[in-house]
Amino acid sequence: MGLLKHLERDFPIIDSDFQRFCASHGILSDCFDFTQFHLILALAIYPHAVEDFLFHDLYVLAAFAEAQSTSERLKQGITQVLTIIDGQHQTWFNGMELLENHQRRKRVLRTGCVGLDLLLEGGLCQGQLTELVGPSSSGKTQVCLQAASNVAKDIGGVVFIDTGNSVSPKRIVHLVNNILDPTPGEAKNRMFERIMRCILCHSVFNIFSLFNVLHELEANLRLQSEEARVQLIIIDSISSLITPILGSGSHGHALMISVGILLKKLANEYDIAVLVTNHMVGRDGGTLKPALGDSWKSIPNVRLLLSRVSGDNKCSMSIIKHPSVCARKQKMR
Amino acid sequence: MEINTLPISASTRGKLISTGYTSLSSLSSISPSRLAQDLRIQESEAVEILKVASVNCGVGNSDGTRAIVAGAQTAWDMLHEEEFARRITTSCEEFDQILGGGISLKEVTEFGGVPGIGKTQMGIQLAVNVQIPVDYGGLGGKAIYIDTEGSFMVERALQIAEACVEDLLDNGPARKDFRASQPNLSAKNLLRDIFYFRVCSYTEQIALVNYLEKFISEHKEVKAIIVDSVTFHFRQDFQDMALRTRLLSNMALKLMQLAKKFNLAVVLMNQVTTKYCDGSFRLTLALGDSWSHTCTNRVILYWEGNERYAYMDKSPSLPSASAPYAVTSKGIRSSASNCKRIKLMQA
Repeated sequence: MGLLKHLERDFPIIDSDFQRFCASHGILSDCFDFTQFHLILALAIYPHAVEDFLFHDLYVLAAFAEAQSTSERLKQGITQVLTIIDGQHQTWFNGMELLENHQRRKRVLRTGCVGLDLLLEGGLCQGQLTELVGPSSSGKTQVCLQAASNVAKDIGGVVFIDTGNSVSPKRIVHLVNNILDPTPGEAKNRMFERIMRCILCHSVFNIFSLFNVLHELEANLRLQSEEARVQLIIIDSISSLITPILGSGSHGHALMISVGILLKKLANEYDIAVLVTNHMVGRDGGTLKPALGDSWKSIPNVRLLLSRVSGDNKCSMSIIKHPSVCARKQKMR
Repeated sequence: MEINTLPISASTRGKLISTGYTSLSSLSSISPSRLAQDLRIQESEAVEILKVASVNCGVGNSDGTRAIVAGAQTAWDMLHEEEFARRITTSCEEFDQILGGGISLKEVTEFGGVPGIGKTQMGIQLAVNVQIPVDYGGLGGKAIYIDTEGSFMVERALQIAEACVEDLLDNGPARKDFRASQPNLSAKNLLRDIFYFRVCSYTEQIALVNYLEKFISEHKEVKAIIVDSVTFHFRQDFQDMALRTRLLSNMALKLMQLAKKFNLAVVLMNQVTTKYCDGSFRLTLALGDSWSHTCTNRVILYWEGNERYAYMDKSPSLPSASAPYAVTSKGIRSSASNCKRIKLMQA
């Protein structure tokens, strides 16, 4: 089925007349299998077809249309096709609109770790992908659990994707009790239950099920009601899903990047803060560096390094990468 | 959704993409025979591909009444579930305490320590203890013991099992009739319910872990998988360290999945190695930094003077703590009672 033929089903204005007109001006109408939802893919394979339409001088095209007997219909058809193509990409923003969008829809989520909130000047930004890097038992999972409890208390929905069976409800209870008003009572119990119900956990043990969960999430996010909106997605740890596929040819690499892109897309379109954890690997010479290599480096918007002084219960945290805060260090418990 | 994210083999994926099937929707309305023809593959293979694709495709259509992610649990539900969760005791009170009451199910717990510290003893003890009947406060489960080093001593296991039965009968419910109604409680039966696998290479080890899912779904009573040791075959003959990391992390995820899916405890034994750090050599657990992230809990066993100690090194829910324990002829026991015995003998 050709592009325009396919569109004819949905938009009667693009009739066979219009198609013939397009064909006569060298706009390919019959060369690929195309659905509205896969313009991007189509673009990758047959870029010339869509480009044909966009590159054609529209005034010349309209002038040609004038000369035809059914000019009105043809012009309508041109406008229709252009609106369809326009609908495929995100709307253009200028700086002011971006700023307004940022101020109105993107919130800053407090994590409840005083040090971390200070360091990030408020907390986790919605629309951004934040990554925690640190060696084993440096407190990555603890920060995740703390953030989950605090966001659930302050605002609402948290989706916790767990790869290491490390979500301990008892630990969450402990953290929630710490942030709640200490006086016991009916109101507190209700609050407690609400918080616990806001945190949604899902175990994932390979990259493909992670994709499934994220795609399902994406489909459902469109339908979600405002009060139960998902504010934060946590993946603890994303590196344990990616390590098994990395290095075995280029496909693993492609999957890693598509996970990153998908997460950032979710974060941006649905105003969600995304928090992922990554581990450290030894470099030659015994020093540690974040896992997943150089191409992952560019994926997270914010990277934080956690470290723990051995034999001490204190953890410290430093910024490796942040779009608006300069690098510094902060102690935390 | 793109073909790229489907769990299919690289060659099939290549064929699909080169013939133009790049999106899941392009596969949604095609017959297996047509697909087989286009891809020049067997029809049965085409059926398999379509099956995978339809599972992944069905995900998108939801009616809004369902939870935002199918299969997810709220922390509230998990909390209620955990209230009923039982744990596997180590037979040493102090040890149980730092573990939060024993080895917890649904988690992967790693033990590591120098040779002779009692890792294998701990493994055998847990394989026996997981079978303590429900009436005696146990789990009444069965155990899978994966032996990679050949260190499982059946005589020793019998000894530990006999001691365990003896202790249970001494401390358990006192009623005579009750005891009579437990004819199954004998050391022989305890040994019978340990499924023993001897593994001689890392390939076998990975194959076995992959096979376990099928095995356990046929033996639902299994409540503990003990791997003694997870390290052994991965420490020799490995040139390609990247491959090793990949295999290990994959295996760890499989074990995690088993633990969660079948509600069982996975216990891994690890060896130690030296690591150059801050100008001196220190003992750490083997298999490197990546591996240290893969377990839920990590317990380090070490000597302090003449006493054995366990140190909770990593746990998402418990604080770091250490406790003494002892290895006796009866198995793992509290250190205090052991000291008393030594004193008595000296007197």
